[in-house]
Amino acid sequence: MEVKQYAEDALTINLGSEVDEKINRQLVQLKSAVTQLELEGITDIVLSYTSLIIYFDVLKADSKKITAALKTLDLTELEDMEYAYKVVKIPVCYGGEFGPDIERFKENGLTPEEVIHTHSDTEYLVYMLGFMPGFPFLGGLNEKLFKARLDSPRTNIPAGSVGIGGQQTGMYPFDSPGGWNLLGRTPVPLYDSAREDAILYEAGDRIIYTAIDEEEYAWIKEAYDKGEYTVETEYRGEEDGA
Amino acid sequence: MALKIINPGLFTTVQDLGRYGYESYGFTPAGAMDYESCYLANALLGNDYDCAVLEMTLYGVTFEVLHSTSMASSGADMELTINNQPFDTGAAVDLVKGDVVKFGGVVKGARTYAAFSGGLDLPKELGSYATHTRSSMGGFKGRVLKAGDILPVKEKTVEHHFSKTTKELDEGNEIRFIPGQQHDRFDAENKKIFTTNEYTVTKDSDRMGCRLDGAVVEAADDNDILSEPTQFGSIQVPKNGQPIILLADRQTAGGYKKIGTVAKVDLPKIAQKKPGETVTFKEISVEEAAQLYKDSLRALTDGTYIETSVKFGLTRRRDALSIVQLMEG
Repeated sequence: MEVKQYAEDALTINLGSEVDEKINRQLVQLKSAVTQLELEGITDIVLSYTSLIIYFDVLKADSKKITAALKTLDLTELEDMEYAYKVVKIPVCYGGEFGPDIERFKENGLTPEEVIHTHSDTEYLVYMLGFMPGFPFLGGLNEKLFKARLDSPRTNIPAGSVGIGGQQTGMYPFDSPGGWNLLGRTPVPLYDSAREDAILYEAGDRIIYTAIDEEEYAWIKEAYDKGEYTVETEYRGEEDGA
Repeated sequence: MALKIINPGLFTTVQDLGRYGYESYGFTPAGAMDYESCYLANALLGNDYDCAVLEMTLYGVTFEVLHSTSMASSGADMELTINNQPFDTGAAVDLVKGDVVKFGGVVKGARTYAAFSGGLDLPKELGSYATHTRSSMGGFKGRVLKAGDILPVKEKTVEHHFSKTTKELDEGNEIRFIPGQQHDRFDAENKKIFTTNEYTVTKDSDRMGCRLDGAVVEAADDNDILSEPTQFGSIQVPKNGQPIILLADRQTAGGYKKIGTVAKVDLPKIAQKKPGETVTFKEISVEEAAQLYKDSLRALTDGTYIETSVKFGLTRRRDALSIVQLMEG
């Protein structure tokens, strides 16, 4: 395994050049294996589509030692390794004021009901997070829902909006300008610093959108604020039931 | 202890050494643009190195001191007056209740840091005081300071031996870099263009990135890369061939080719450049860059750049402080 260094405090392992579910799985397994090595001075391990970056404290860790330890890891051995991930169910109120672009999918030959049916109850793989805190780059969108970004981006997309940009679906944890086609909105804050998991998911997890109506939207929003609503999360893999 | 902001200056935020450990969730580290000056401002007061400081850009903040405390500044040389009397930046000074402290325009450099006894007393968000304005996170309400803001300070005046920093602002314009993720996607000719020409810092530069203008650098192919993690100092080359150095408020992932990563020890030089100033680039090995960075961190924390200087004006402030304290009983 090749270990590269492009910064004083970071080591990079690259496993390919394309978006590939298998590479994502290998990276997640690799991250788990590196964590288990319990190397001194490691500050963060960041996954992207094709690479893993290991950050370390330059005064506490020795890059040569970390590199040597990484080289002892064998990808083919890792393949059989059980790995844990979460399936996070995000409730979404589709259409109406929350999803002003749902009608535009008539150009794709889909009624709003068909868009909701196709988009929800599907497992999307979180390849990586970036662009803004908690913004997931998701794989697994049905190609019937591929849709180019708006010609003229909106100046403000409200936090919680769920949309489609080209071949990707995703959601905005913060208010932001953006050109994605908006399908709906979730009443659950995608970032909450007071919550145990400030962000509900990480690379390698799965997201499922479940359709709710406006009444449920209002109910969940209120219940969440009172601390009475928790997002449904299923744990799979070695930490089953944990 | 607290300060009341009278004039927030051009772009003043609360920062520390950055919100690290959350990049895998897409959180931008933010933090001080010039880590050296941030370390030194805290060191002058004997603060911990991760105390919250103010980062001021080009034109500084004016505030009223609501409770006596101590302050130290470091970084760009900025005009500084206390009750209209001039003082030097780069030193510790006592502030007396009722003082009006005014940081003015920069004389040399671009960013000045002000530390206070024990640090600014604000809540940490995800383990850090750093403000990231684009996600409204950390610092003081996640935003730049405004007139009327009351900033709490942790401690009263401290014994700081009137220390000052001996570290001169590095005004050199040679920026050393480590070959980046896509360095080999640039041919010898384009690498040479990059390392033999001067680039001008443009006025679009901010905490997110330093945008440069100069000779066009072209990659051997036109292909985009998949979004991948970026670093503080990643030098991206977009299709127009004008490099952009990603800084403290960068997005955590980007899809432009990266010809290099600025050596961390030269990030303060970039942070202290004003629009219109120029930089050149020189390649060094990652081993050399790592050694320079370790040496720099050690020097910043072992007192190498701190010396004691008792000036008449400074001791007079100490007297004024004693009188106020006596009167307050």
